[in-house]
Amino acid sequence: MREASLVDGREPAARSDRGHRSVPHTADLRVEAWAPTAEGCIGELVHALVGSFADLSGARIVGERACTVLAVSDPDLLAGVLEEVIYRMDVDGELPAALALGPIGGLDGARSVEVRFRMADTATAALVGAVPKAVSLHGLELGEGPGGWTCAATVDV
Amino acid sequence: MSEVEIVLVEAGRYRWRIEQRPPMRVPGVVFANGALLPQAAGDHALEQVANVATLPGIVRASYAMPDVHWGYGFPIGGVAATDVGQGGVVSPGGVGFDISCGVRLLAAGVDRDELDAERIRRLMDLLDRTVPRGLGRGGLWHLSGPEELDELLLGGARYAVEHGHGVPRDLERCEDRGVLAGAAPGEVSNRAVERGLQQVGSLGSANHFLEVQAVDRVHDPETAAAFGLRTGQVCVMIHCGSRGLGHQICTDHVRAMDRELHHYRIELPDRQLACTPVDSPRGRAYLGAMTAAANYGRANRQLLSEAARRAFATALGVGLELVYDVSHNLAKLETHEVDGVPRKLCVHRKGATRALPPGDPDLPADLTGAGQPVLVPGTMGTASYVMVGLPGNEAFRSACHGAGRVWSRHQALRTVRGEHLKGELEARGIAVRPALMRALAEETPEAYKDVDAVAAVTEAAGLARQVARLVPLGVCKG
Repeated sequence: MREASLVDGREPAARSDRGHRSVPHTADLRVEAWAPTAEGCIGELVHALVGSFADLSGARIVGERACTVLAVSDPDLLAGVLEEVIYRMDVDGELPAALALGPIGGLDGARSVEVRFRMADTATAALVGAVPKAVSLHGLELGEGPGGWTCAATVDV
Repeated sequence: MSEVEIVLVEAGRYRWRIEQRPPMRVPGVVFANGALLPQAAGDHALEQVANVATLPGIVRASYAMPDVHWGYGFPIGGVAATDVGQGGVVSPGGVGFDISCGVRLLAAGVDRDELDAERIRRLMDLLDRTVPRGLGRGGLWHLSGPEELDELLLGGARYAVEHGHGVPRDLERCEDRGVLAGAAPGEVSNRAVERGLQQVGSLGSANHFLEVQAVDRVHDPETAAAFGLRTGQVCVMIHCGSRGLGHQICTDHVRAMDRELHHYRIELPDRQLACTPVDSPRGRAYLGAMTAAANYGRANRQLLSEAARRAFATALGVGLELVYDVSHNLAKLETHEVDGVPRKLCVHRKGATRALPPGDPDLPADLTGAGQPVLVPGTMGTASYVMVGLPGNEAFRSACHGAGRVWSRHQALRTVRGEHLKGELEARGIAVRPALMRALAEETPEAYKDVDAVAAVTEAAGLARQVARLVPLGVCKG
C-alpha cells in the first residue's frame, strides 16, 4: 500500500510528479490532483479535500480505519473515497491524517479499492475553510494521460 | 453527447431568452438586467440553464432567477417543471444536495433604537456560544436513536413543536405548516440516518448564517403589517438546511439514477443532472426520501429558532414571532396550467423560492389577502429583502432566493482579509461572530451580486414585489 501524509496541506512550489491544488469555482470547491498512479492520485485528492478546510498538524491521532470502496468506474471510485472521508467526519468526528490505498482491482463496471486511514480527532483539528458535505458527479475525472494520472472533483461545501 | 449551443436574445425588459437548440426541449429564460446577467469568463451558469432544458418532460422553459449563478448540473437560481403525465423526470440535482435549504425570519418585540452597542454585543456573544456551527460541534437536539429520527423525518417542524421546541403558531407561519406529507424514512439510507442523528439544530458552514437584522425601509406598509413587520423592528434571519442527512440522500439517489439512465434511454449533457421519471419506483423513492429531508430541514430551523429565542429572552428580555419559513431547494408536485390545460408538474426549485400570490389556498389564513412572504437574504454587509408573491408569475410561481454569488472563494480570499472585513463591519455597527476568519473573507459582501438590484429586477420582471428591506446588526457565520 502506498501511504501519503496529509498533515502537510501545502501545495508544492513547483509542479512535481505528484501534487494537488484547488481551482476557482463560484460557490463550491473544485480540487485537482496528479500522480504517477491512480491510487496515488486519489490519495492526493483526499489531501486536497482535507487540506481545504482542516489543519491537522496539531490534531490527536485516534486510530485506524479500513474500508473497501466499490464503484462502476475509476472516477466513481474516486468519489467513493472522498465520500468515505466526509461520512467519517460527520458520523465519527474523524478526519484522515494519512491514508494508504491498495491496488485498484476489478474489471470495468465493478472496480474496487481498499483504503486504510490513519484518523485524527476533528475536535482537535483547526478549521481553515468551508466544510465539505458531498461530491458532485459534475466534472468528476480520474484518468491516465501522457504525464501520469490526473483527477478532479467538485465538492459541495 | 454534443454540447448545447448558447444563443442569448434580449426578449423584453429584464427578460432574456436562450434559443432552443438541439438537444434542448424548451428555451431558456433568464430574468436579469445587463449587470446581473452571468457573463464572467468561465461562468457556466447560462450553459447550465440550457442543459436543464434537455430534461425529459420539461415544459414551458428552463428558468433562471435574477440571482442565478454557476452551480453543478443545475445552476443555482434555476426553476424547471416537468410534466408527470408525459414521462417528466425528477432530478435530485435539481433540488440540490442541501435538500430544503431555506430561510426563516422571526420578528422581535424590540426596535433597533432601543438597543445600544453593548446590548447587541451581549446578544451576539450569547448567540455565538449557543448556536452550533462549523466543524463537528453536534446539534442542539440529541435524538434517542434512529426510531426518533424517523418520527422527526415524518413530522418535521410539527414534531419539534410537539416536543416543546416552539409554539403552535410557528407552524401556521411555515411553508406546508412545517411538515411536508409523503415522507418515506424507509428510503433514507443508514448512512444518511447516521449523519443526521447528531446534527438536528446546527447551522453548518459556508454561506449559512444566523443574522440579527433591523427593518430599514418598508416598501409596502399594508403587506408588511400583515407579515408582522414595521420600520425599525429587530428581526432574526436563519439560513440553513438538512445538513449531512440531506446531502447523503441526494448523493445516494443521484448515484442510483446515474446507473439506471439507460433503462429509460435518457442522455444528459452533465452527470449531475441524473434523473428518472417521477412516475417510477426510483422517482417515488427519491421524492419520499427528499420529503423526509425537507422535514428534517424544517425541524432544524425550528431548533435554531428556539436557541435564538432563548438568547433574546436572556439578553434583551423580549420574544420572537415567526414571520415565515421557506425552502429554496425543493421539488414539489404542483398543478399549473400549461398551454391552457391544468397539468400535474414536478417543479424543481434549486436556489429559488416558491412565491404564492394573494388568494392562494395554500397560504396561512392570516396571509391569504397579502400573499406569501418571499425571503431574500443578501449579505452580511448590505441588506436582505422580504418580498411577496404576485399573480401572473410565469416561472411557476417562483422568485429569487438571495443575492447570488459572483466571485469564487479563491477570488474572495485573494481580495479580502477576514480580520480587515470584521473590523470594517464592526466600524459600521455590525457585530460579527465568525466560525473562522477565512470563512468570513470567503463570504465577503463583494462576492455577491447587488441584492438591491436583484430585488428590483425580481419585482420588475413580475416575479415578486418588495415589501421590506432589512439591514444587518449582527451575524453568526457558519
